[in-house]
Amino acid sequence: MRRVLQCILSVGVMLIALCGCSNKSLLDPKDPVTLTMWHNYGGDMQATMDILIDEFNSTIGKEQGIVINVTTISSSAELNKSLDMIANGDPGAPEMPDIFTGYPKEAIKFQEKGMLVDLDDYFTKEELELYVESFVEEGRIADGGLYVFPIAKSTEVLYVNQTLFDRFVTATGADPALLETFEGIAQLSLMYYNYSGGKQFYAADSWFNFSEVGMAQLNDSIFDGEALSLEGENYEYIFNTIYTPAVEGGVIIYDGYSSDLSKTGDLVCSTGSSAGILFYGDTITYNDGTVENVEYNILSYPTFENGSNVALQRGGGLMVSKSDEKSEYAASVFVKWITASTQNMKFIEKTGYLPVTKKAFEEDMIDHLENLEDVRIKKMLTSVLAMYEEYSFFTAPNYSSFDDDSDEYEEHFKSVLSDARYEYLAGKEVSFADVLSNMRRK
Amino acid sequence: MLKRALELWKREKDQKGTTLHRRLIVFFILISVSLILCFTLLLMIFGITGKAEKEVNNHLDTELANISQTIHDDFGRISLGGIAIAEELAHQSDIFFEDHDITAAELQEHRELIVPLLEKHIHTLLNTINNRICGGTFVILDASVNTWDLENSKAGIFLKKTQPTATDTIGVDVHYLRGPAQIARDHEIMLLGQWKMEYDIEGQEFFQKVIDTANENPDLSLSRLYYWSERETLKGNSEAGFLLCLPLRSKDGTVFGICGVEVSDRLFKLLYSPKGGTYKNIFTLMSTSQEDVVYSSKGLIAGNHYLTGNRWSIDLAYEREDVFEYYTSKEEEYGGKSTSVKLYPNGSPYEDEEWTVAVLIPKDLLEEACKGNVSYFIMTIMILLVASIVASIFVSKRYLHPVTQALQSIRDTSGERKNVPYMEINDLFDFLEEKDREHEEELRQREQHHEYMKNEYEKAQLELSRLAYSRKSEIDPDLYQQFLDHLFTLTPTEREVFNLYVSGKHAKEIMEILCIKENTLKYHNRNIYGKLGVTSRKELLRYAALMQQDSKGGKYR
Repeated sequence: MRRVLQCILSVGVMLIALCGCSNKSLLDPKDPVTLTMWHNYGGDMQATMDILIDEFNSTIGKEQGIVINVTTISSSAELNKSLDMIANGDPGAPEMPDIFTGYPKEAIKFQEKGMLVDLDDYFTKEELELYVESFVEEGRIADGGLYVFPIAKSTEVLYVNQTLFDRFVTATGADPALLETFEGIAQLSLMYYNYSGGKQFYAADSWFNFSEVGMAQLNDSIFDGEALSLEGENYEYIFNTIYTPAVEGGVIIYDGYSSDLSKTGDLVCSTGSSAGILFYGDTITYNDGTVENVEYNILSYPTFENGSNVALQRGGGLMVSKSDEKSEYAASVFVKWITASTQNMKFIEKTGYLPVTKKAFEEDMIDHLENLEDVRIKKMLTSVLAMYEEYSFFTAPNYSSFDDDSDEYEEHFKSVLSDARYEYLAGKEVSFADVLSNMRRK
Repeated sequence: MLKRALELWKREKDQKGTTLHRRLIVFFILISVSLILCFTLLLMIFGITGKAEKEVNNHLDTELANISQTIHDDFGRISLGGIAIAEELAHQSDIFFEDHDITAAELQEHRELIVPLLEKHIHTLLNTINNRICGGTFVILDASVNTWDLENSKAGIFLKKTQPTATDTIGVDVHYLRGPAQIARDHEIMLLGQWKMEYDIEGQEFFQKVIDTANENPDLSLSRLYYWSERETLKGNSEAGFLLCLPLRSKDGTVFGICGVEVSDRLFKLLYSPKGGTYKNIFTLMSTSQEDVVYSSKGLIAGNHYLTGNRWSIDLAYEREDVFEYYTSKEEEYGGKSTSVKLYPNGSPYEDEEWTVAVLIPKDLLEEACKGNVSYFIMTIMILLVASIVASIFVSKRYLHPVTQALQSIRDTSGERKNVPYMEINDLFDFLEEKDREHEEELRQREQHHEYMKNEYEKAQLELSRLAYSRKSEIDPDLYQQFLDHLFTLTPTEREVFNLYVSGKHAKEIMEILCIKENTLKYHNRNIYGKLGVTSRKELLRYAALMQQDSKGGKYR
C-alpha cells in the first residue's frame, strides 16, 4: 500500500512540475488573454497593420488564446504625449496599454520606473540571432536589457516631386545634381522661389534630425554628453546653409509634415522618414479642386559638400508593459510572430519600412523587390538598399532628457528662423550673426 | 471465457461459500456507492445540473440589457447632439448666404464661396470633436469646387480623432481626412495619409438618401430626419463606422448638404464590449436586421472575439431555440441573445428600419459554458467511487487481518494462541478451549466405559460358553444329529425363515421382512418343525444355538 501511495505522489509531483515548466500552459484558447495595443502605423499603414493583427488573432492567437485589441492608432508624437502622462502618473492619464510602439528614448522613462518587460527573458539567444544585430542592440537601454524590440526600421531620404522638379529644370536649366547636397538644395530653393513666384522648394520633417545628422556628416556631434552643443564652426556652417533660403524664401519652416504641403503642390522636395512614403500619395490637389497626377522620386539623403555619407537610422519598436506573467508571455508570442520574417516582409511590402530579421533584410527584400505592386514602395526600397551600400548610419543616443532636448531644439529652430523670416518679409534688416546667436542662446 | 469463469466461481461459491473478505468488500462498496448515489441524486434534485445554463442565460440577459440600454442612450444622445450641430451649421450657413447675397441653392454656382463657407464650419466641427466622445465629425455639401464630376465629388470636411473616447485631454490630436488643405493648415490640423480634398460619394448611398428624405419631408423637423447609416467606410479611408447623418437645411427649406458624427469601429469596440471576465469570447454585434437575417456584414462588433477587424463579409441567419438564439453563417456558428434597439423616434421616415443588438458567443463555447462544471462534478463522483472501492478493499483487508490471522493460528499445529484485538474472537477462543476440554473429558469417560463394557462382554461370553456347554450335555445327541442331518432338506423359503429365527427375529418381524401372512408362516413353521424333528420354536432355537456354538468351536465342547 505504501508503494501505491508513493507512486500516486510521484505522478502528482511530476504533473505539477511539468505544468510549471511550460509557459505555454499559461495560455488557454478557451480563456484568451486580451492585450491592448497602441501603435503609430496610421493612415495607409493602418490597413496593413489591421490585416496582420487580424491574421494573428484568427490563427496563432486563436490557437493559443491571445486577442490583440488595438485601442489607439496615432502619430508617434501623440502617442508619446499620452505615454508621458502614464509614465508621470498624471491624473486623467489613460490606462497603460499592454503593447505599444515607441522609440528607445521613450522607453527609458518607463524602464526607470520598472514598467517595462525585459524581452531578453522571453527570447532565446538563437531567436535573437535571427534579427539584424544592430537593430536589436538599439533596443537595449540602461541596464542592457532588451526593452524595445525592433519591428521595422527607417532612414531618412529625399522625396522629390519629379513632375514639378522636371518642370522647373526645363524652365530654368537648374542642375538636378544639386539635389545631392544641402548646399545644392539651398541654391535650388532660392532659384525655385523666384521661378515659382514665391512657392517653397524644400522642407525637412525634422530640423533636429537635419542638424544632428549634418553634424555627423561633418564628423562632428551636436551632443556634448547628455546635452546639446551648438557651438563650433561646423554647427554654424550647417545653420548658415539653410539660413538664407529659410529667411529669403525657398525653404519653408512648417509646423507639420512636409507631405501635407506636397499634397497640394506647395513643396517640391523634402527630407523625411522613408516610412512616410505612403503619406505622399501620387497626386496634387490644387485649391480649385484640380487633381494632377504626379510622380515622386526617392533620392538618397543629401550630404554637406565636405561631409561624408551619413544618414539617420531610426524606427521604433514594440514595448511590453509589465503586468502578470500570462499577459507578458502572450505579448512576447505576438512580438515574435509579428517580427518574424514572413510577417515582417508583408508589413514592409505595404509600408516602405525596412525589415528587421536578417533573412528579410538580406534575402527576402531583394527577392521581393521586383514583384512589388506599389511602385512608390519599390522606389523607396531600391533607394534605401542603395543607401545601405554607400552610407554609414547614425543612431541617436539614448538618454532620459533626449526627447525634451530634441523637442525643444526643434521648436526653437523653427521659432528663430520663422521670426527672422517675418522680419525679412517686413523689410527689417536681419543679420545671420544675430539669428545664430539667438539659436545658440537656448 | 467470462461465462466459464463465472460458472466456476459460482460452483466454487456453492461448494465452499464466499470468503469473509469478499463479503465485507461487497458490503462496504454497496454502502459507499449508495451514499454517493444518494448525494448525487440530492444535488441533481436541488439543481446542480442546468445551473450553468441558467448562469450563462442570466449573464447574457444582463449583458444584453446593459449594452442595449447603453447603446440606446448613447445613440440617442449622439442623435440629439447631431441635431444641435446641424442647426448650428445651418444657422452659420444662412448668415453666410445672406452676407454673400446668395441662396443655398446657388452655392454651386458660386463655387469660390465653398471654401470660405467650410472655413465657417470648421469651428463647430472642431468644438464637436474635441468635446464629444466620437470617432469623427463631418460636413458634406451638395456642391463641389470641381468643375467636373459634380455628381460624385462633394466638398466638405471630415475630422478624425485619434482616441475616440477622449475629450478635452492632451495627447489627442484631430486629423484631417477630407477638406480644403488650407483650412487644415490654418488650424494646425494634420492631414491624414488618406487625405483628399473632396468626398467621392459614388456608391455611398447615405448622402443622397438623407438629402432625398429631407426633401420629401419638408415639414419634418431635424429630430425626425436624422439617419444612422449602416457600417460605412468612406472611399480611401481604412476605418469603418456608423455615421449619424443630418440634413443641412437652410431657412428657405433648401437641403444643401449633410453633417454628422461618426461612431467609428474603434469607438464601438471601446464602448460596447461585454465584460470579458466570465465568458471571454463574448462579443456584441450591432447591425440592421430583417426577419431571420442579421446583416452582420453591415454592422459593427465589439468584444474579445477573434473577428476583431469587423471582417464579416457574410450575414448571419438566426433561429430561436428554447433558451438561446443561434446564428449561422457558412463558416461559423454563434449562440446568444439579441434584442431590437430603437434608434428613431415615432414619425421618423426611418422608423421601420430594424436594428438589432446581439451578445454572442461561438456556439461550441456556449454549449461548453452551459455544461458548466457538470463534467467536473461527474469526474469528482467517479473519483469518489474509485476511492471508495479502494478504501473498501483497504479497510476490509485491514479489518479482517487479525481475524484471518486468528483463524490461521487455529490451523497452526504449534498450539500457541495469538492475541487478537477483538473481544468477541477472544471469547470465542475461550469458549472453544472450554469445549475442547469438555470434549476431551467426555472422550476419556467414554474410553473408560468402553474398557469396562469390553471386560463385561468377555465375562458374558465366557459365561455363555459355559452355559452352552452345560446345555449341550442336556440335549439328546440323536435328536440333535437328526436336526443337523435334515437341515439341507429345507426349501429355500424354509431356510430363509429358519435363518431369520436363528438371527433372533420374531414371527411378526419375519412376516414383515418376507411379506407373508401369518398362515403362510405357520405353514412354513410346520414344515420346518417336521423336517428337523422339533416340536416348538423354543426347541428349534436351542438346537440352532448349539449348532452355532459348534461351528465356532466352543471352549466347552
